[in-house]
Amino acid sequence: MSVYFPQKFLPYLLLLPQLAVTAIFFLWPAGQAVEQAFYQEDAFGLSRDFVGLDNFTELFTSPEYFASLKTTMVFSFSVAFLGLAVALWLAVMADRVIRGAMVYQTLLIWPYAVAPALAGVLWWILFDPSMGPVALLLESIGIDWNHFINGDQAMILVVISATWKQISYNFLFFLAGLQAIPRSLIEAAAIDGAGPTKRFWDIVFPLLSPTTFFLLVVNLVYAFFETFGVIDATTQGGPGQSTTTMVYKVFNDGFVGLDLGSSAAQSVVLMVIVGLMTVVQFRYIERKVQY
Amino acid sequence: MSDLVLRNIGKTYANGYQAIPSIDLTIEEGEFIVLVGPSGCGKSTLLRMVAGLESISQGDLLIKGIQVNNKEPAERDIAMVFQNYALYPHMSVYDNMAYGLKNRGEPKSEIETKVNAVAQMLGLEELLTRKPRQLSGGQRQRVAMGRAMVRDPKVFLFDEPLSNLDAKLRVQMRVEIRELQRKLGTTTLYVTHDQVEAMTLADRLVVLNKGHAEQVGTPMALYDRPASTFVAQFIGSPSMNLIPCTVEDGVLQLGADCQLASPQFSTDKIMWGIRPEHVDIVPLQDADLNLQVKAVEALGAETLIHGSVKADRDKQYPFVVRLSGNHAPDIGQLIGLKVPQHAWHVFDAETTKRIEAL
Repeated sequence: MSVYFPQKFLPYLLLLPQLAVTAIFFLWPAGQAVEQAFYQEDAFGLSRDFVGLDNFTELFTSPEYFASLKTTMVFSFSVAFLGLAVALWLAVMADRVIRGAMVYQTLLIWPYAVAPALAGVLWWILFDPSMGPVALLLESIGIDWNHFINGDQAMILVVISATWKQISYNFLFFLAGLQAIPRSLIEAAAIDGAGPTKRFWDIVFPLLSPTTFFLLVVNLVYAFFETFGVIDATTQGGPGQSTTTMVYKVFNDGFVGLDLGSSAAQSVVLMVIVGLMTVVQFRYIERKVQY
Repeated sequence: MSDLVLRNIGKTYANGYQAIPSIDLTIEEGEFIVLVGPSGCGKSTLLRMVAGLESISQGDLLIKGIQVNNKEPAERDIAMVFQNYALYPHMSVYDNMAYGLKNRGEPKSEIETKVNAVAQMLGLEELLTRKPRQLSGGQRQRVAMGRAMVRDPKVFLFDEPLSNLDAKLRVQMRVEIRELQRKLGTTTLYVTHDQVEAMTLADRLVVLNKGHAEQVGTPMALYDRPASTFVAQFIGSPSMNLIPCTVEDGVLQLGADCQLASPQFSTDKIMWGIRPEHVDIVPLQDADLNLQVKAVEALGAETLIHGSVKADRDKQYPFVVRLSGNHAPDIGQLIGLKVPQHAWHVFDAETTKRIEAL
């Protein structure tokens, strides 16, 4: 829908606050990052030299960078898949509850209100190899849990802590999506001879696909870019590089390793990736999920 | 053999609310039964109980002689058309119709033959590849019926299928549904709150009031001899005029100055009724009853005159007269009415049940 203002000036005036926020807090730092990516700066920030594309060349010839790319992919898709699957399962269950439905729903939404770093610490304590209750439980059934040594276990830990928070958010959307499906459709399918499982996959799941797609995008973006806090609080990217995602590497190389040029180049790469991801997802996938 | 038998069927909800106390109904093969009543009378609940979408609290439900109380909807071999059509929005028209057959595991070629045959019968051949959102209201309605027909069920259930259509389409679809049902000869249970739909479609009508079957019978039987004031007012439009009055010594005391010769009834206190179309207009001096005109609705072919008749002292009762052709009495004018005795309906004022002359 388009609305036309008779004045030329007013619409821009109304947009100004948002534009200002975008410019000051996004465009300007982003621009600085792009600029920084072409310079080599000394560790104390006293001088810098223009190095052209050297930062990028170095990045793309570094096996560590590709390792972090792979880590990011494994991490992000695991988080998105696990988060969606568990949330959908919970939503389907909660949708069936009649008595005390509000209590279940409220409790399931709570984790979303927990700060990422806190969520990280929570899981870090639960899985602590020497005193964490979950770790001790695993040990009692013969699984030797130590995410400080075992890279795969560290990955499992960060995936769990990153997913846990996101489940609430996904749950909320799935529940709303489920409740928007007319009951008569389910009843019609029941009369058409479809059992509960078949009804879910034939009717409910396809009808939820716009919600699922939206959540997939949101969750991937979350896993890609917003899980720094969780990783920092649980594994700090370790052991080795096993949980160093691209975003974590930006921080690590820039603020721990003090290689600001490389760090900036990595942010630029991330910016390009997020742009591409958005375009691909909305241009090519969204068309298929509309019905 | 009776096709569908409801024996002492009742529904009580978990919170103790009794939606349907007890209903008995025997439906013969190929019959078109309409459940009609105001909203909240339990007609949809009853239909959903037959469909298996609501549990049955008491009694027996038999389809072709087999008790199906605890069977899943799919096992009852019924098909239902929903008020909002309930078409699967992500499936094409073809897939919508084929879904039930696929679930039964019928071979693909068989499904194709059946769907195409039904599509042809309903004029849907051109639309088979479309999605429901690309269809008009009438087309969606047809697809919903096609989905029900394609499985060749033992019983069709319709839950107010026409209430989402505009008036013109409703009349058209009404005729179509009746024709199709006759052609297929499938036993049908149809729920509506629209008495015109009920009258025109039904072989037999069931008028429901607060979960009770007030009366069961052919539309004309219900029109001619309504069993209670509820049925009398529900069937026929505009509804029957009803005036509480007394009968004493062969005189019907309709108001302070209106007395009519009347047969005796088992009780003095009665509800006296006459249908608007059975009243004639006569000169005032020959009139049984005087009507003060309040509003006139000229519909072209007929005219409805709304007014009131005066009873004792200040009491007035609304009264409607339906005349063919065009009439234009003035508002406030008094007109004389003739109310022939053979068109009277008399009900017990206490029980509201119909009573006959002694």
